[in-house]
Amino acid sequence: MSALTGATGTSAHGLDDATRDALAELLLCMADDEFVLGYWDSEWTGIAPLLEEDVAFSSLAQDEIGHAAALYELLAGLTGEPADRIAYGREVDGYRQAALLDHARGDWAFSIARRFLYDTADAVRLDALAGSSYAPLAGLVAKMRREERYHLAHMHAWMVRLACGGEEPARRLAAACERLWPDALAVLAPPAGERRLLDAGILTESFATCRQRWLGELAPLFEELRLPFPFRPAPGASSSRARPAGAPAVADAGQPGRLEPTFPEPGPEGRTRHNDDFRWLWGELTSVYRSEPGATW
Amino acid sequence: MSTEGEPMVGGPGAHVAEGGGPPMSLEIFEVFRQEKEGGPMVHGGSLLAPDGELAAHYARELYGRRQESVRLWVVKRSAIHDVTDPDLLQPPMDRSFKKPVGYSAGIKQKLAEARERAGGQE
Repeated sequence: MSALTGATGTSAHGLDDATRDALAELLLCMADDEFVLGYWDSEWTGIAPLLEEDVAFSSLAQDEIGHAAALYELLAGLTGEPADRIAYGREVDGYRQAALLDHARGDWAFSIARRFLYDTADAVRLDALAGSSYAPLAGLVAKMRREERYHLAHMHAWMVRLACGGEEPARRLAAACERLWPDALAVLAPPAGERRLLDAGILTESFATCRQRWLGELAPLFEELRLPFPFRPAPGASSSRARPAGAPAVADAGQPGRLEPTFPEPGPEGRTRHNDDFRWLWGELTSVYRSEPGATW
Repeated sequence: MSTEGEPMVGGPGAHVAEGGGPPMSLEIFEVFRQEKEGGPMVHGGSLLAPDGELAAHYARELYGRRQESVRLWVVKRSAIHDVTDPDLLQPPMDRSFKKPVGYSAGIKQKLAEARERAGGQE
């Protein structure tokens, strides 16, 4: 991937090559997640269920593309490749968004479910980067978290309204969750070079731990809303491991009590194998860039 | 995360949800905004929302997403006491004496007459 083949030797950021490449890969995954979600959600502009939501949802989509732009810039500073070329100049196979973000927008419930699953997973990922030793990333994450908190509240409001909004919205929302859960796990699949990122303090929590925190926080809500939650505690989990009321169920991966999917664990290609929905979107979102590569707009 | 919404009750502007589902009942909210700390709350406009929580979100998007506000007040229009009675606001009698400047009816004429009587002894 072109974004990862920057200069060799000592990095200007005091990172060795392998650590810098691992950081670049992480940044690319995060940027592509935000970028692709922003494009999908912007498709609701003009056709959202009500005018006010139309404005709000479009604004949220713009926020995500803004986050992507900031992350691509960070990546550009690391590799020397221009941010625009990273964003628009790759072939389909070069994109690294999670499988969750490959799906077309679907119906309103599908877009809400996808966005809620993504925003909640992204929130725990950002938590694990807020104290990053890589100062430019820690600084950006601090800003992103302030916006994502609001995005999350907005999505939560819609999850509750659809789940409690009568038979059809609840049915559509449940179907969307059912369909999306396996692909949602790809958001927190451990990044390549995670060990190096942890050792360097760039990442302060493993993605396996992030995933447990994410699922632990979502479990009570999905139970309350009677939505599919296809996970169960790992064998050997003790129900007597009570936690204080209100505290999130935190469990380290590999320990009893961790939540495991009731479906087969998705393979490692969750960020590398893209579907036809995304191929179509890629054609759309890169069409202007490809019409005159390298042009200044 | 935020709290559960209030029940969606019927009201003005009921919309039909996408997909032909049950109508989504919307209410009108009025939005007041403050441009800078200490400034007055000025009416920004109105919006439709199913409840106060989403109304606050929409107010942010419509009247605050470009950082043009430091505070918003989002109020159900139905909570506003609308006072338009002309007997209260535009009484038929001359009440100009209640204005800060005092009597206004014929005040110029009276002043002119007073000057005349004084015979220019100013």
